Amino acid sequence: MNVSLDICNKSLNKKEEELCGDTVEVIKTADAEIVILSDGMGSGVKANILSTLTTKILGTMLKNGETIEDCVETIAMTLPICKVRQVAYSTFAILQLFRDGHAYLVEYDTPACIVIRDGKKLELPYTEREVAGKAIREYRLDIQEDDYFIMMSDGVTHAGVGGMYGFGWGRTRVGEFIQDQFKKEKMTAARLAAAVINECSYLYHQRPGDDTTVVVAGVTVRKDLNIFTGPPTRSEDDEVLMRDFMGSPGLHVVSGGTSATIASRILKKKIVASLIYTDPDIPPTAEIEGLDLVTEGVLTLNRTVNLLQAYNKGQQDEKFFKILDESNGASQLARLIIENSTHIHLFVGEAMNPAHQAAGLPFDLSIRMRLVDRMIEEGRKMGKIVSVKYY
Amino acid sequence: MTITICIGSSCHLKGSRTIIQKLGELIAARQLNDKIELNGSFCMGECANGVCVKINEELFGVSPDSVESFFETEVLRRL
Repeated sequence: MNVSLDICNKSLNKKEEELCGDTVEVIKTADAEIVILSDGMGSGVKANILSTLTTKILGTMLKNGETIEDCVETIAMTLPICKVRQVAYSTFAILQLFRDGHAYLVEYDTPACIVIRDGKKLELPYTEREVAGKAIREYRLDIQEDDYFIMMSDGVTHAGVGGMYGFGWGRTRVGEFIQDQFKKEKMTAARLAAAVINECSYLYHQRPGDDTTVVVAGVTVRKDLNIFTGPPTRSEDDEVLMRDFMGSPGLHVVSGGTSATIASRILKKKIVASLIYTDPDIPPTAEIEGLDLVTEGVLTLNRTVNLLQAYNKGQQDEKFFKILDESNGASQLARLIIENSTHIHLFVGEAMNPAHQAAGLPFDLSIRMRLVDRMIEEGRKMGKIVSVKYY
Repeated sequence: MTITICIGSSCHLKGSRTIIQKLGELIAARQLNDKIELNGSFCMGECANGVCVKINEELFGVSPDSVESFFETEVLRRL
């Protein structure tokens, strides 16, 4: 089983705090992906330091293959002791997903992870034991595609305390809320994390009483996305590029008028361009049999890259997803990149379009290469494996 | 008759969208919908003279300001 993880975490800071006392760390090793969440005692700087130390120590030690016992012991001995409370304390939850398809989850004092399989909550059996004086919960299971693991700090389960819910939202209701989200057409880690954190913010009346963090990790299989943009410098390379491009498995997107013309010529299929402007600023898309998406070039790519950047900056709220769900070419491409790929392969021709050098256009059309660079950068920030070949 | 309008990057910036919209209105006003088909196309390679518009295979450069006179003279004459 060749699995990848679709991971997104979102936090709300306790009201009037500039730093979050919850920290999330995601680490990739050769055989596993590791997600660590820690909630430091207190709030603000102190909590932030405690939780950062905890996740960093755990991350580094696990990466080096140390046992969970050694990790916990090290944390217990390393964390600075709070002057006020005379203890050093931070919670943690560690999810390790191995590429061979099994998972190991260990929790110390965090609300129990919610697991969704086939859109339904799955209550996992766990074992409890004591390590370095701390009672930890351990879970082992085999994962399936579309399994979702939702880890949270207690800021989530306490949302609405003393208000909407006397004792807070509670893990059971959180679980039901999450399960309801899966009735929607499509679910991704980012959409789910945004939904949960929005609900927390609402329950806290936008004034969280505690640092609030949710981490969603969804299991996806490898998905390849191929993008061809820009005609090759030498036209005799057109065929070479198209052979590489079409020979690569997965979805196929062509971005650019000249590129589409090359694809159409070599595939011997007509370009059917649409005249419907679903967005006044983005030229319509076209269709070529055998390709999954055909768009205009730089104007579309520019918008797409801006959407990727917004996504990476954490602006994943309802407004963002509304734009992402639009039907224009740029949103369609951004959706494929963000939600429908683990591996992205770019086939980039470096020829300049002489017509684009013409002065007097309100947009610099000769910026394709820069947009490609930005797309690679944003893709990698998202955790995608991006490869690029120039022609 | 088929009128093909370029929706490539350069022509888009020069106003393809307005031209498509205006042509659509002019055709509808004269009830020529069954005689004229509007089509889109990616770059026709004549960006400097854009917006590129083809009547069947004949190429014209049209701007949002000249679309009406283009319709009156070039399109109607060929029907």
